[in-house]
Amino acid sequence: MITVEHLVKQYGDFRAVDDLSFTVEKGEILGFLGPNGAGKSTTMNMITGYNSATEGDVTINGFNVYDEPEKAKRCIGYLPEIPPVYPDMRVKEYLRFCTELKEIPKKERAAEVDRVMELLHVTHMQNKLIKHLSKGYRQRVGLAQALVGNPEVLILDEPTVGLDPMQINWMRNLIRSLGKEHTIILSSHILFEVNAVCDRVLIINHGKKIIIDTPDNIIRTLGGTSGVRLVVRAEEEEFRKAVESIPNIARCDRLEEDPGDGLTAYAVYSAERGEIRDRLATMCAERGFALFELNAIQKTLEDVFIEMTGKGDTI
Amino acid sequence: MRAIYKKELRSYFTSFLGYLFIAFLLIIVGIYQYLYNLRGEYANFGLAVNGTTTFFLLLVPMLTMRILAEEKRQRTDQLIFTAPVSVERIVLGKFLALVTVFAVAVAFICVYPLILHNYGAVNYSVAYTTIAAFFLLGCTYMAIGMFISSLTESQVFAAVMTFIVILFTLMIDMLVQMLPTGHVLAFCVLLGLALIVSVITYVMMKSKIVTGIVAVLSVGGLAVAYFTDPDRTRFDGSLAKVFGWLSVQSRFALFPREIVDISSYVYYLSMIFLFVFLTIQAIKKRRWEA
Repeated sequence: MITVEHLVKQYGDFRAVDDLSFTVEKGEILGFLGPNGAGKSTTMNMITGYNSATEGDVTINGFNVYDEPEKAKRCIGYLPEIPPVYPDMRVKEYLRFCTELKEIPKKERAAEVDRVMELLHVTHMQNKLIKHLSKGYRQRVGLAQALVGNPEVLILDEPTVGLDPMQINWMRNLIRSLGKEHTIILSSHILFEVNAVCDRVLIINHGKKIIIDTPDNIIRTLGGTSGVRLVVRAEEEEFRKAVESIPNIARCDRLEEDPGDGLTAYAVYSAERGEIRDRLATMCAERGFALFELNAIQKTLEDVFIEMTGKGDTI
Repeated sequence: MRAIYKKELRSYFTSFLGYLFIAFLLIIVGIYQYLYNLRGEYANFGLAVNGTTTFFLLLVPMLTMRILAEEKRQRTDQLIFTAPVSVERIVLGKFLALVTVFAVAVAFICVYPLILHNYGAVNYSVAYTTIAAFFLLGCTYMAIGMFISSLTESQVFAAVMTFIVILFTLMIDMLVQMLPTGHVLAFCVLLGLALIVSVITYVMMKSKIVTGIVAVLSVGGLAVAYFTDPDRTRFDGSLAKVFGWLSVQSRFALFPREIVDISSYVYYLSMIFLFVFLTIQAIKKRRWEA
């Protein structure tokens, strides 16, 4: 459905996008994840044919975006980072213009405008000037624009930015339901969102692909159960020594939580992937530490993301 | 193309801008008509139109400043350039909307000579050939204004630049008279121009090969033309000639004097074509870089 091959965008000496390749299957929602400035918007602008690529190719539905731009663009609905709306137009007038711009047959235009307004719940705002709308409504009108003509492919650049929590939830549900009929690429720097909505996740940093897989697989292959949380009754120094005597342990941190009752909580990490819970349990039994809780620390996509992109400050 | 054309036209006529432009133009023509034709008692309507051309200085930027700069500033260019419409058709739609607003005003102006007819004999052929030239002159300025608007995100910058460029075309005849006519200086200045063109080529295309070809051809051509001429008179007065090509305004001056110069019509049409083409290229180029 969408094929991106060896895409490069060069600005002078700076490579904003560096040899990016991936495919998105029909009916799939791909989450496009990366810190700010990773090249997400640049890539999306190239996929939609707004900007040209320095090298590489983008194919939508079999049409090359650069060789057959009009055919390819007909299959795409694009919601850029800033909704491309005219402040001096009324909502209905604007969507009407979009149906004309996207060459919807004349007879179907009115029905199409009504359909997208209904879908985005903006029908009651149809006669308002867009400059008088709140950010949330502007975003909705922007998405309505992308849905005009019911294109098979939707490219959504940070669709939930600037929305309040209620609207975010509503928007996510909408995107999920759109995913049944459309192929969607959705960019975000909110991991929870991508985890909740997307079938697969592509993580990029400095314009390079880091990984593309399902959220669960990413967590499994990169996360694993390398961390274990224990709640024990034990002298700290004695416990640390005992833990360090087990081979393959990277470090042992005392957690800030206070389980009370003279108990202490620790997080223990293994040096390599693999199970250490059994060994820890045996150790506690042998040394006579009373063990109250023992569970694996499940890595979240967030942990993986911070690990992969190498900086937590960008989230 | 129709969608863009309709949108632009609607935006001119739902805001005051379109009406202001037309009203301003008609008032100015009215004032000149009163001064020349009614009070001055000249039967030549061309004179009234001639006086009005100076006001393109204010009228054209008013209409063209936002046409592409504003799309870029409010990011709606991401909508129109990702729609299944080519850049050519978008630019053409926008330019035709500008021309239409101007044509409405010119249609009103066409009525003026008929009114004048009540007060005496009017030379219609002069009046209407002048109005036709006036229309083409205005369209030329608007094509230039649109081109300038495509280069920037700032309406103010677009307006000021358009003002300066039109002012330059108005003053160029005067400036040309100050230019030296000697051939040595002419050769040097033309050589400088050739170098400037080469530099612009390099900035635009970033290609050393193309720039090299342009530089060698232009500089070499000039040198050959200059040094093969035994008495070196070939370049006498050539500066005035070169700058004269840029004088959009002077081509108009013949019409009110009852001379119909078809080559001026052709000149304006070529300038319009050139600047519409340059606008399209400027947008395409930006998409490579941005």
